[in-house]
Parts: sequence; C-alpha cells; structure tokens
Amino acid sequence: EAQVVHNQVQSGPPPTVDLISLCQEGKVKEVIQHMEQGIVADAQCFEMLFELCANSKKLEDAKKVHDYLLRSKCRSDLGLSNKVINMYSKCGSMTDARRVFDHVRDRNMDSWHLMINGYALNGLGDEGLTLYDQMRELGMKPNEETFLYVFEACASADAIDEAFMHFESMKAEYGIASQMEHYLGLLGVLGKCGHLAEAEEYISKLPFEPTAAVWEALMNYARIHGDIDLEDRTEELMVGLDPSKAVANKIPTPPPKKQLAINMLEGRNRVAEFRNPTLFKDDEKLRAAMKEQAYVPDTRYVLHDIDQEAKEQALLYHSERLAIAYGLISTPARTPLRIIKNLRVCGDCHNAIKIMSRIVGRELIVRDNKRFHHFKDGKCSCGDYW
Amino acid sequence: AVSEFTRMRISGVEPNHVTFVTLLSGCAHFPAEAMSLGSALHGYARKLGLDTRNVKVGTAVIDMYAKFGLMGFAKLSFDCMGVKNKVTWNTMVDGYMRNGDFKNAVKVFDEMPERDVVSWTALIGGFVKNGIFEEGLMWFREMQLHGVEPDYVTMISVLSACANLGTLGISLWLHRFIFGSRFKDNVRVNNSLIDVYCRCGCIELACQVFDRMKDRSLISWNSIIVGLAVNGHAVDALQYFDLMLNEGFQPDAVTFTGVLTACSHAGLVEKGLKYFKEMKRVYRITPRIEHYGCIVDLYSRAGRVEDALGVIKNMPVKPNKVILGSILAACRNLSDVRLAEWLMHYIYELDPEGDSNHVLLSNIYAAVGSWRGASTVRKKMKGLGIQKRPGISSIEIDGVLNEFVAGDRSHIHAEQIYAMLEFLSGELRASGYVVDDVSELYECG
Amino acid sequence: SFATPEEAAAERRKRKRSLRLEPPLSSLRQQNQPRPTTPQSPSSVNNPNAPKIPETVSALSGNRLNLHNRILKLIRENDLDEAALYTRHSVYSNCRPTIFTCNAVMAALLRQSRYSDLLSLHRFITQAGIGANIVTHNLLLTAYMDCRKTDMAMEHYKQLINNAPFSPSPTTYRILVKGLVDNGKLDKAMELREEMLSKGLIADPIVYSYLMSGHAKSLNSDGVFELYEELKEKLGGSVSDGVIYGSLMKGYFLKEMEKEAMDCYEEAVGENSTIKMSAVAFNYILDALSKNGKFDEALKLFDRMLNEHDPPKRLTVNLGSFNVMVDGYCALGRFKDAINVFNSMGEKRCRPDTLSYNNLIEQLCKNDLLGEAEELYKDMGEKGVSPDEFTFVLLINTCFKESRPDDAAAYFKTMVESKLRPNLGVYDRLVDGLVKVGKVDEAKSFFDLMMGKLRMNDDSYKFMMNALFEIGKHDEVLKIVDRMLREDPADFSDELQEFVREALRKEGRDEELAKLMDDIEREKKEAADREAEAAEKAKASARAAVSSLINSPKLFGIKEPEEQSTTAEAARTNDDNKQAVPEQEVSARETAVEASSTGEGAES
Repeated sequence: EAQVVHNQVQSGPPPTVDLISLCQEGKVKEVIQHMEQGIVADAQCFEMLFELCANSKKLEDAKKVHDYLLRSKCRSDLGLSNKVINMYSKCGSMTDARRVFDHVRDRNMDSWHLMINGYALNGLGDEGLTLYDQMRELGMKPNEETFLYVFEACASADAIDEAFMHFESMKAEYGIASQMEHYLGLLGVLGKCGHLAEAEEYISKLPFEPTAAVWEALMNYARIHGDIDLEDRTEELMVGLDPSKAVANKIPTPPPKKQLAINMLEGRNRVAEFRNPTLFKDDEKLRAAMKEQAYVPDTRYVLHDIDQEAKEQALLYHSERLAIAYGLISTPARTPLRIIKNLRVCGDCHNAIKIMSRIVGRELIVRDNKRFHHFKDGKCSCGDYW
Repeated sequence: AVSEFTRMRISGVEPNHVTFVTLLSGCAHFPAEAMSLGSALHGYARKLGLDTRNVKVGTAVIDMYAKFGLMGFAKLSFDCMGVKNKVTWNTMVDGYMRNGDFKNAVKVFDEMPERDVVSWTALIGGFVKNGIFEEGLMWFREMQLHGVEPDYVTMISVLSACANLGTLGISLWLHRFIFGSRFKDNVRVNNSLIDVYCRCGCIELACQVFDRMKDRSLISWNSIIVGLAVNGHAVDALQYFDLMLNEGFQPDAVTFTGVLTACSHAGLVEKGLKYFKEMKRVYRITPRIEHYGCIVDLYSRAGRVEDALGVIKNMPVKPNKVILGSILAACRNLSDVRLAEWLMHYIYELDPEGDSNHVLLSNIYAAVGSWRGASTVRKKMKGLGIQKRPGISSIEIDGVLNEFVAGDRSHIHAEQIYAMLEFLSGELRASGYVVDDVSELYECG
Repeated sequence: SFATPEEAAAERRKRKRSLRLEPPLSSLRQQNQPRPTTPQSPSSVNNPNAPKIPETVSALSGNRLNLHNRILKLIRENDLDEAALYTRHSVYSNCRPTIFTCNAVMAALLRQSRYSDLLSLHRFITQAGIGANIVTHNLLLTAYMDCRKTDMAMEHYKQLINNAPFSPSPTTYRILVKGLVDNGKLDKAMELREEMLSKGLIADPIVYSYLMSGHAKSLNSDGVFELYEELKEKLGGSVSDGVIYGSLMKGYFLKEMEKEAMDCYEEAVGENSTIKMSAVAFNYILDALSKNGKFDEALKLFDRMLNEHDPPKRLTVNLGSFNVMVDGYCALGRFKDAINVFNSMGEKRCRPDTLSYNNLIEQLCKNDLLGEAEELYKDMGEKGVSPDEFTFVLLINTCFKESRPDDAAAYFKTMVESKLRPNLGVYDRLVDGLVKVGKVDEAKSFFDLMMGKLRMNDDSYKFMMNALFEIGKHDEVLKIVDRMLREDPADFSDELQEFVREALRKEGRDEELAKLMDDIEREKKEAADREAEAAEKAKASARAAVSSLINSPKLFGIKEPEEQSTTAEAARTNDDNKQAVPEQEVSARETAVEASSTGEGAES
C-alpha cells in the first residue's frame, strides 16, 4: 500500500494530443493511455491502431482498442469492422474475430475473405471451409479471390481432395478462369500438407511451363518439410529461370549415403551378412554407461506411458524440480539455469538433476544452503558429496 | 570525554550545540554503557531547549535513541522538534529500519517532505539488512522510477540483495549501470559485484570483475577465493591464494576459510591440513570454529571419522551443530548408526529446533534398513513439534523471481511446468534414473 | 474418390473426430496452438501413444522458424548429431521445435542411413507430444522398409490408418509397396494395392510399376499383364506414364513374345510417343533390354538418355541407369567398359553410392580383377563414399584368393579402425586364411585385437588355440586362458576347458591349466578378501577410535563456551564474506548520514 501512496498522480493530459503521429511512431501503449483519459480517436487513427496491433500480435492491446471503437461514433463502419476481424485473426483469437463478424450486419466479400483466411492462418481450416459453405448457402457468389482463401483453408485442414474439387467448381460452377495464383494455391495445398512428391507431379501436369514463382513455392515447401534434395533441385530450376534469385555462398549439400530408391540393384545389399548383429563389446559398455535406449531392431520401442502413480509422484516433486521446469519452458535452449534453494538438495533430486543436465543440454546451477552445485553433462561439481 | 563534560559543567561553561552533538553521538556508539548518561544529556539539552530548537542536536538525540533501540523516545523527540531537516527525517527512517520496524520506516519515508539519495538508501538498505531482499529491490526500482540517481552505498545494498536472491539478470543490469557510473572503480562496489556473481554461481564473471579491478583490498581477494571455493573451483581458489601472497597481501581468517573450504570441496585432505598448520604457525591466526569446521568436513568427506573426532577433541571451543552435522553426514556414508545416534544426542542439545539433522538421522536408519529407527525419529520430531522447514527454490526469469515449494500449483504456468516435469521424468527413466524414494524422499521439499 | 467436397470433408472430419468423442473442432486444434504470450510446453503427455493433431505450417513462424532455419543449416553442414541434439534440447526450452523441424532432422538422418538415430529421435518427439504429420509417417515407413522390417512398417501403417487424424498420402503407398516388393512380399503388396483403391485413391502408375516389376522378377508374366490391364482400365483406357513399360516388356520377354516386347518399346520411346518418360521409366526399359539379349538396343537407348539429360530441367539418367549399364557390360564380360561407364557418371552429375561400388567391386573380384577392384576402392575414399563391411569382405576374400594375406589383414585392420562392425564370421575367415598360410602370429594379433571387441564363441577360441598348439606355443594358449578368466570368465566354457586340457595333456602339461585356474581363483578370492578385510579393518579402527573418543571427556567437556558464532556455519563460509560487506556498508552509510548531518548542521 505504501507504493500506492507513493505513486504520484500524473497531472491531467495536455489538452490536445496528436494521436495520429503517436500511431505513426508505433506507440500503441501511449495512445491507449490517452484514450483512457478520454481523448477520442477518429476513424483514421483506429485504422492505424488496428494495423499496429495486428502486427504486434498483442491480443490485450487489440481488445482495448476494439473496446474504444465500440464506444466511438464509427463503431458501425464496415471497413473498420473488417480491420478488427483482421486484427483479431492476426492476434490469434478467432473467437473474437468471429464475434465481430457475427455482429456485422452488412458483411461484404472482404468480411468473408478475412474470416476464411483468418481461420486458415490459425490452423482452423475446417472452420474456414464450413464458413465458405455457409457463405454459398446464403447465396453469395465466390469470386476469384475467394478461392485463394478457400485453398488456404484447405491447406490448413489437410483437405487435399476438397481443394481439387473446389478448383473444379471454380470453372464449372462460377465460370472463373483459373489463373496463376489459383494454381499456386493448389500447389500450396499439396506443399503445406507435406505431399511434396505429389506437388512435384502436379507441377509437371500444369497446363503451362512452370515459372520461377512455381519453383520457388515448391522450394519453400521442400525447406519446410526438410527435403534438401528437392530443395536443391527446385532452387536450381528457379535460378535457371530467374538468376536474380541465386543465393550466394550456399553451403553445398552433403552427399546422401544411400540412394536405394533409384539404384536399380536387386538384392545386392548384403552388408547385413557381414555386420555384427549384436553390439561390439565396447559399444555395450558405452551404451550401458549412457543407458540411452539403444535401437534394437527386433523389438519395437515402447513409449513410456506415464501412469497414475508417476503423476502422483509428480505432485510431490521437490521445489527445485519445479523451478528447473519453469526455467526450461521460459528460456532458450542451452542457457544455463540458476536455482536458489533455502535447504539442502536431497539425494534423489541431486541424482535426478545430474541426469537432467545431460538430457536437457544445459548447465544447471543450484545454490542450496550449504554449497553450490554446478550440474553439467550428467556430472556435478560437488563430486557427489554434499 | 564524559569527565571533561562534567568538568565543563562544574566550571560553569555553558555547553553549546557542538558539545551536545559530539557527546550524544559518543553515547550512541556505546548503547550498553551510555544509556543512562545519554538520557541525562538529553534531559540537560532539553532544559536548554537545544533539542527542539537546534536541528543538529535534535537529530543527534534521535540517532542516539534509535541506536539504543528506544524508538518510542526517538519518535517523541522527533515530534517535539520545531525544525527538521532532511537529515532528521533520514535518521528517523534509519532508526525504524535499524529496529526492524518497516511499517513506520516506510510511513516516515512517505511523510518526508523531500527525499534524497540518502533517504532512499536508508530505506533500501534497511530492507536488505533485515533480510527482506525482494522488498529492497522493489524500492530500488521505485527509486529508479523517481529518477533518483543511486550512489555507491545504494548499489552495495542492492547488490547484497541480489546476492542473497541469486538474481543474475538484475545483477547484470546493475553491473552495466555501475560500469557507466562514476563509482565504477570503487573497490567496495566491485567487491560486492564479485560477491554477487559468486553467489549466483557465475564464477567467470566474478573473475572478470576481479581481474579488471584497478585496486584491490583484502576483501576483494577474500571474496574471489571464497567464491571460487564454494563453487567447487578448488584449484583456481588456491591459485588466487598464491597470487594474493605474491602481491604482498596478508591473509586473514576469512581468507583461510576460503582456502580450507576449497580443499574440503576438492577432497584435498593433506593440502588442507598443510594450510591449516600454516595459518596457525606462519600467520598467527587463531583458528575459529569455522576453520575447525572445514577440517572436520575435510576428514568426514574422506570418511576419516576418527580424525574428525580428534579435531573436535583437541579444539578449544565447543563444536556447533554444523560441525556435528558434517560428521553425521559421514555416518550416513559409513552407515554407522551408533555414532549417529550418539551425535544426535548432542546436536539435539545444541539445537532442539533443528529439523535437518533429524531428517538426516532418519535417513541413516533408512539406509541401513532400520525402518523402526526411522519411524522413531519421525515420531520424535512430531512429538517435539519440529516441523520440517518447507523447501523453497527460486529462479529468476527476466528479472522476476519465481518461488516454488514442493507440489506447488500456484504458478500461473503450473500446467506447463507439470507437463514438462512429467515428460522429463519419463526421459529420466529412459536414461536409467531410478527414483530413490527410500532414503531421502522427505529430506527437503 | 469423393463425389462432392462435402463428402470428402465428412470423411476427413470423421478421422479427426475419432480422436475423441465429438469434441468441438476448434478446441481440438486449439490445444496444439502455441499461445504466443505463454511459454510453450509439452501439451498434456497423458498417453504418448495417443494420436495428436499435428501443427500446421502457420506454426512455423517467429522464433520457431528461426530454429528451423538454424537446424537446416546444421543439416547442410552435415552436423547431424548437433542437429538432432539441438532439436531435443529445444524441446526443453521456450521455443519448442515444430514437427517440420523434427522431420527435417529425421529426413537428413534417413538420407545418411542413420536409422537408429532416426528412431530414437522419433521416439523422443512422440514422447514429447509433438504431433506427427504425414511426412513423419512416410519417413518412418521408409526407414523400416530400408531396414527390411516390413512387419513393423505394416504395423505402423495400420496404426496410421486406425488412429491418425489424416489419411495416408499416395507417397505412403509407394513406400510401402516398394518396400514389400523389394523384400519379396509381393502378396502383401498386392493386398495393399486393393486397400489403396478401396480408400478412393487413384491408381498410381508408380505403385503399379513396383508391383509389375515384382511379378516380372518372380517370372509371373500373367501377373504383369493383369496389373497392366487393371491400371489401364482405372486410368480410362491408356497409361501415359512410362514407368510401367519396362516391366511390361519383361512380361513379354518371359513369354518369349519378343515382337510384342519390342512393340511396347516402340510405343514408349518411339518417335511419336506421347508417353511420359522419366529416368526411372527409362531405367526399367533399359534393364528389360539388357537382361533379354538386347544390349545393343540398350546401348542405343542409353546414348539417347545421356543426350536428353539436361539437368535440372529434364532428368533422363540417374545412378540406376549407370548401374543397369554396368551390370549389362559385366554380364558380357566387358569389364573395362563397365568400369568406364561407371566412372563416367560424374559427367552427368550422378553420384555412385556404396551399393553401386560394391556391386561393381563384386563383379571385378569374381572375375579375378582385384587390381581394378582396388582402384575403385581407392576411388571411394576420394569421392567420400564410405565402404561398408561388405566392401571389405569382398576385398579380403579376394586377397586371400590371390595369395596376398598381408593385404587381407591390412583391409581388416582398416575396417575395424573405421568403426565398422564385422561379425564373427568375417573375423573367422580372416584368421582361418592367415593360419592356412602359416601366419599364426599375425592371426594371433587379430585374435588379441578382436577378443576385447567381439563376443567370440567356442569354435573361434578353439581355432586360435589349436593353431598355437600346433606351432608349440602352449604358453600363449595359457596366456589366453589367463586373460579370459580375468576378463570374461563365462567365455571359458567346460568344452573349451576340456579341449585345452586335452591338448596340454599330450605335452604332459595338463596340470598347468589346473594350476592356472586355481591361481586365478585364489587371486580373485584373495583380492576380494583383502578388500573386504581392509574395509572391515578401517571400519573397526574407526569405530574403536570413535568409541574411545566418545567416552573422552575432552570431546565436549569443559571448554570455553562457543564463540559468538553459533550461526556462522562452517561450511557456509561465504557468510563471513557476505557479512563483511554489509558491515562496510553500515559504516559507509553512517558516514554518509553523518557527513551530511554535519554539513547540513553547519548550514543551519
């Protein structure tokens, strides 16, 4: 309470505040503060604010700003409502976006597009496709752009078959000629869903010569799914068509060890006959020391199902483990964690933290009331005497 | 000085305010002996009206009462004073803090017409000295918000809070701040920095600070040696010790605590004994209980209980519970229940409320499979009303200290924390970890 | 396939819903959505075997995208250990890897045949609750198939069908069918084709090509034709993908219908052909030609393929084409040509793998061309293709055949040094070869080398011992027994013991064995006793010392009361230091207060 007494109340805000220029500087917090003190924003200002919040992805700010819009005169402006939908979907809250969408009476095409795309971008493609159905049920005619968002939704929902059907319907039902973007959209559905080989075949069946953009798209999907051979090939194709896209100093791809898929040799992989099926003695020792689950070719590894007992035990977890767990989920990989404990670290925790330091790949420094423990690579500086 | 004053009075010379200030602060330094004289002086000053009219005398009176622990009187005098200046207020804040009365200290602080760096420092330092570190840091933040430039005294207080909390993030921030300040070469500030890094387990940075210091005091050397020692860098600690001798510093008792701790950490029994001997013979330092403690620990770690007991036998002071605890820990390793029981008897006399050694004893029983013994200890603890202190672990993330107790679900991210723990426990088992619930499940928490 | 988008959607949603009882769709997705403001953590890891909905591509943004790119860089640098480790470590951080990053690492591991690492990472991410997507499943299935674990692959496929919130992709079936055919499980592959069709997937010419080549391999030309007819029908009357033509030709060749086979050939690659020919499609035809007495035609086709090859735009040759040609030349005994064509593949940006090298080296060795084989082996080293155990076995065997036992021994040594794992059979062959040419000492040195590494059986031990007995080195045998008893006493079986005793008895030295065994037994017992005794002694002396001290009044007796340091804990010496600092601080602050106090006072 002392703090409250201490906080000096700021003197009232200056009578005129240039919210627009604050927006231009990107000072959302300050604009919100001013609005809290009764300064009214105009449509232009709201538009800028929505844009800023969408970019910063700060849902809390977004909600506040939206709140002020609802209290303002321009609350029923369709353009602004659409911007709010966009803002919420960028901030990851489709529930809020949907609420706004549902309240807009005179929705235009943009509203639908923003919603469908918002669902797609937030991994809710199914909802997006449902909305597209609703849109058609309401008698709205999808346009060229609509299909781009529908494809996004399909990509997000693993809906490959549907994407192709929608593509068909585009021409057959709505008389829309398919353009480059639509082909790219369809390619995106395959690419984003990880159907890379299918995507490559799709390109070979395109009714036109693939452009650099097509190869670039496939290259990006190859990057996403980690297919470096495809990435290299598509990059070469892309650069062949558009040399400006060449990347300097690219690390050459390491050669693959085996090319079973294409080598056409039958039954000549006889290495198993001469390779030791069991481990070498020294490997045995190493594995025993590491105790990592070794790959045993003949038995499936069993996933560890954490049973009830273990869960109850988790409830009894000592405070240092909780602190470590929190440290782990709050910091980047491999940063050391420093834990301070008011009592001695117990033997069980000491043992556990030692192994933990190895599996999480971090230095764990625990200061208890007796001494320091620097855990690293499965060892502790205290030499196990504490 | 007192007799001089009596002479002065007898000779009829009117004492002026300077006399009083001198005398009063003289009294303040000896609270035990000068209590009555101080009050008498105050009475005399009162008669002359000096205490209310002269701000310096008044302040001195308050300071004196504060140091006597008589805050009631201090407050009375404070309220009676006609003229108060900043120093008077600061003295009040400091007085309350000195006596652990935070509420009033903050109250006075808030009532102050004007707060300077000394006021802030008094408040922050007060919290830190009373072990309320987080509050200290909070007020430091407040001070920053108010744009008051801290001085080196403030810094030392704040660093001490960080050292105790082990908040590396804030410490790094402070270090940057200090680096840009005019007291960046202040020896004491740098000593505090070394201390803070050592206590955060960040020994590399501590060494860096130490190596960059222009001037070093004995405390600098002690800090780095002790820091290295407790962090398990025994060899480096001993190296720094040699360096220190080369630079002509005379080691003191604290230095040797560091050196001996280093030896006990690394299990260097012979070396430790050599240093212990040197300390006594060459440097003529009478070993204190903590030095004996190190030697006992050194022997105990090596499993040489008889030698450890020999040290206790021959040392001139009574062993404390820490020393006995060291041996008790050795008993666990040797599974010597008889000695453990016997030690416990003494430990209990020394520290009837202590929980950790009871737990240790119970674990020793458990380790040798004597469940009855273990449960007896637990029952005894219960009967004595000894409660296991709750274990609290803290971790600083982005400058925010997060505290946890066992089974804690209060954290806002509790769900994720437990999910991570569950996953981790699975991976631990995959790595061959076996829960050791027999021996030490309830040692701490 | 489906008639309407609605139907397709219904089927798809059903898959997702079967995860739980009718959850609202959005909540299902939501649980895997990382909340940007909160730290990420494994989503509830209740049952790691339960399927999870994988994240979508939009999850790959911000820090998680940076992580992805960082791992990709490691993969390019071929530092796969670090890539896998960093991925694991990122699970324990505020930036969980996406399934895409995990897939990238697994794909790279697969590319380098590091199957156990791949499986280990897969186990880990599954445990961590990172939902697998179709790419993950396909990688895993490929790995199982490469390892010839068809049953495991099929079991995994069943799980995918039953549990996964998405359907298998056409690629999934290609992987499975190829794997099954390659492993001689044509029946299963045929069943899988039916299943694929029943699931509404299109008839994939590539899948059919695998099946047809399987039938051709098992000399079942009717099977080939049936599949062809079926495919043709499913695709509406004609097949435009050239990938099936090679097998079709083989079918005709099997029926000795050469004309039909060559008509097929014309249809596929003739001037007016509209058939789409890929490198793989060409290879099948190339193979059909060269294995059916049409090598000249094959050469012509190969020439054309080389000419049309225009990477990256058009790919008409690949490693497989060269392998077919190498085999073709070898079959005709034209080894020089085989080597030449093999060496020329670099010109077409093709790169041989270990299998291709082994193939050619085997052919050369079989035909007493060890020198050429060794050239190739050297070439492998220069090209960065690592030889495997089979490569070395080929070379070792041939060296013995050509009476070059020392070189054989050297190859074996290189093999062991390059961390390959030859089995006991390989070792036995080496030792046998060396002993046969009287190099018992050399053999013995390999015995010594491998004894610590390989788990040997009685025969291996007996063989070595026998060789030593025969040259009268009975002492050496006793030394071996000595080492065995010390290191692996279980290996010294009764049978072996009897064997050694018998051999020694012939020399009248059989009691030496008994003595040796007794000695070691005694030694071991003595050592154990000594240890126990020492421990007991130490304990006893400690106890004695302790009890004498316990009763000594001096221990706690009349002593000065403890110093004012009840709280100064010995082990916590830094307290002292800590206290020193506030102590300074107090005085510092006081001086500050007082200084200002006097200063102010003077002013007032």
